[in-house]
Amino acid sequence: MIRIPYRTWFEFTGWLLCLIGWLFWLQGQIWWWQPLVLWVLVMVLFFLTRGLGYDAGAMPFMAVLAMTGWIFLTRLSPAWASSHTWGILIAGLAYLLGLWTGSKSFGHPLVWAGLAIGLLAATALFGQSAGGARAWISLFGLRFQPVEAARIFLVFYLAHYFTEGRSKRELFAVLGSFLLILAWQRDLGPALLVFFVFCWLSLHWQFSWLKLCGYLAVSVLGFVLACQWFPHFQNRVVAWTQPWEYLDSIGYQVLQGLFALRSGGLAGRGLGAGYVQVIPNVHTDYLFAVIGEEFGFLGTFALLMVYLGLAFWSLRLVHVMTEPRRQLIGLGLTLLLHLQVFLVVGGILRIVPFSGMTLPFVSFGSTSLAAQLGMVGIVAGLGGKGGGD
Amino acid sequence: MRKSFLAIVLMYGLLFAGSFYWQLCAPIQDHPANPRYYQMFKERRGAVYDRNGLALAESAPDGEIFARTYSTASLSHVVGYFHQRYGMTGLERIFHEDLSRGRSLITTLDLAVQQSAEEALKGREGAVVVMKPATGEVLALASAPWVDGNELDANWSDYLADQRSPFLNRATHGLYPPGSTVKPIVYGAALSQEHTVGSQVWDDGGSLAIRNRTIQNFGGKAYGKITADQALALSSNVVFAQLAMELGDGLLTVLREFGLGAEIQFDLPNLGGHVPGRVSSDYDFAQLGIGQGELLVTPLQMAAVASAIANRGIMMRPYVVQEVRGGLKMRQITRPQPIREVMPEEAAAALLGAMELAAAEGTAQTSLDTAFDYGGKTGTAQMGQGSDHAWFIGFAPAERPQAAVAVLVEHGGSGSQVAVPIGVRLLEAALAVNE
Repeated sequence: MIRIPYRTWFEFTGWLLCLIGWLFWLQGQIWWWQPLVLWVLVMVLFFLTRGLGYDAGAMPFMAVLAMTGWIFLTRLSPAWASSHTWGILIAGLAYLLGLWTGSKSFGHPLVWAGLAIGLLAATALFGQSAGGARAWISLFGLRFQPVEAARIFLVFYLAHYFTEGRSKRELFAVLGSFLLILAWQRDLGPALLVFFVFCWLSLHWQFSWLKLCGYLAVSVLGFVLACQWFPHFQNRVVAWTQPWEYLDSIGYQVLQGLFALRSGGLAGRGLGAGYVQVIPNVHTDYLFAVIGEEFGFLGTFALLMVYLGLAFWSLRLVHVMTEPRRQLIGLGLTLLLHLQVFLVVGGILRIVPFSGMTLPFVSFGSTSLAAQLGMVGIVAGLGGKGGGD
Repeated sequence: MRKSFLAIVLMYGLLFAGSFYWQLCAPIQDHPANPRYYQMFKERRGAVYDRNGLALAESAPDGEIFARTYSTASLSHVVGYFHQRYGMTGLERIFHEDLSRGRSLITTLDLAVQQSAEEALKGREGAVVVMKPATGEVLALASAPWVDGNELDANWSDYLADQRSPFLNRATHGLYPPGSTVKPIVYGAALSQEHTVGSQVWDDGGSLAIRNRTIQNFGGKAYGKITADQALALSSNVVFAQLAMELGDGLLTVLREFGLGAEIQFDLPNLGGHVPGRVSSDYDFAQLGIGQGELLVTPLQMAAVASAIANRGIMMRPYVVQEVRGGLKMRQITRPQPIREVMPEEAAAALLGAMELAAAEGTAQTSLDTAFDYGGKTGTAQMGQGSDHAWFIGFAPAERPQAAVAVLVEHGGSGSQVAVPIGVRLLEAALAVNE
């Protein structure tokens, strides 16, 4: 197993150096040390993970994704890229923390539930709003989105709930308040994600068609109610179903993303040659469209293949886990990541309504980056020592 | 685990399919809401040149964008125009892929001939097409009135309001009855069947009764005993009505062989006009033989007809773009290409003689001084209402034609008086084209 990552390193390093050279030549001035720092970080994390005896197979995938994000942010604005560099460094620490957390099995379910809801409630009470959702907390001058961590804790709680057969009333209280707070904050993307993960875990734990139909019915009902209660959700749905009628208002972002993708064609217009400054919130929401325009279908195909590779890695690890709780946590976190990829990319491709979340590992946003690397760390930690290689 | 695995693969499968569709298939590229559309005005576009390397269309920086300028106004019906607000037409549209990549077009047009055509048509409604018969190169193509590609901003609303339709390219999209200019085709068909038909003597009494209807000569003139050559020169309806009735269905075939009734494979879009599929009565054949009735043609088609006669029966495919040139590597050259033999060489030679006779002592005479002999045929297409359309098709020099022309002036009256002088002047200009 170790051979493939090693080869990946060499190819990746070569690719990286070419791109650094290109950026240096194009931009004239570039913080050339940033990719080198990131590369050193990735190497350290890789050998540390392997040295501690855990499976390091996820590192190449994450490194490719994070570097792709860094390159495209540099292309959009060097200021975002250097902020992103710090984000990745912090995320590296989060990864190690995750590795440690995953390798232990401690904590009481109610502690996890309390942490999840407490973080959300704190955000709801003391939070600041940005981009339509009140999802930020400012602490010692640092701004972060607690919901990114809260949903990991919720997955921990859910794993306990299924394996320990805890009371349904408690589940309703925890999950209900979690979703309600999110809805109240108008942060519907994470709410949707958490709900889907819960349904999926529930079906995984004990499959029945009745349950499946029940969850579908609840989803439809929730969809209809959300359309009525939340005007911005309704706008997103309209932008999804009929963007052409609202091409300079609510459909604008979706259509500009599609124009960008279409103009990329098969091989793309080349790095830096896209016309993507017209897409609103391109660095957080729409990096996928930039990649599509500049690297073409080949680029997006490769990107999705990397995500799929990461999914295979974690599913393989989860599959061989013997302890049900670990398995549920592993599966839950995997789903949290890849359902998010599906909702984000699917939203850009008009497969589902756009939910305004970040593209895991790629998009700008330190908190989400830290949470996502942390999740992978937890999965690697859950896999235990000697699981990989 | 297996179900989860499959569901995740399915999810990514959907994303792959969505990417494939939106990046490679979705027909949204040219949507006006796409800001990339305006990008092309910010890049230098390839130029369009005439056959001597003179620029017909060029881009020059104008603030943030590149403005397109055209060397003469009537080019809007061939080269077309390219404008940020009003879009693109003509070769600008058809060769947009090449031009937008900085490649240039070298056309077969001659700026001097084009300007003569523009001069001749100024203030009228009509069209001219000048070609080289041996190759099919189009030296000039003009349709009046035109829009001026340099003055779109200033005049756009006037152009839209203009009742004379300046956007209509009459050379390629104007449909007219050919009038007597169809007679060379009828005569060519007769000559192809029977070589001696030229010396046959006909008795022209000025009108011909067919059942209960009559066909009359122009102005009701009776020419008496004339040969078929003379009948063409004098444009005798009586004789050509009879020739057409004798040819019968064969005439329809020959009309189609001359390219009428079907779109010409040309660099610019054009209409095919109309040739009736079945003709039931003698009278209708007679009408066909004098260019009235159901027949409809474009000036471009008639230029190709004149050119085919001048090229001794071999019709060449008309073309206007001879080369697409981009950088050192890229050269895409159009070669002259025959379409078909429309009549045997001997028949064509006899027809050339008859048309020369028409120019020398028939309806296609001119009072202008010319340094060359030419051949031609006039036409006066009678319209249900309004004055008649004036036609002229011709070629020069008569012995070895180097240029062919078709002229149409809407409501111009008689072909002899209006269309012939224009045609002769254009032939003169075309013969001056240096090789």
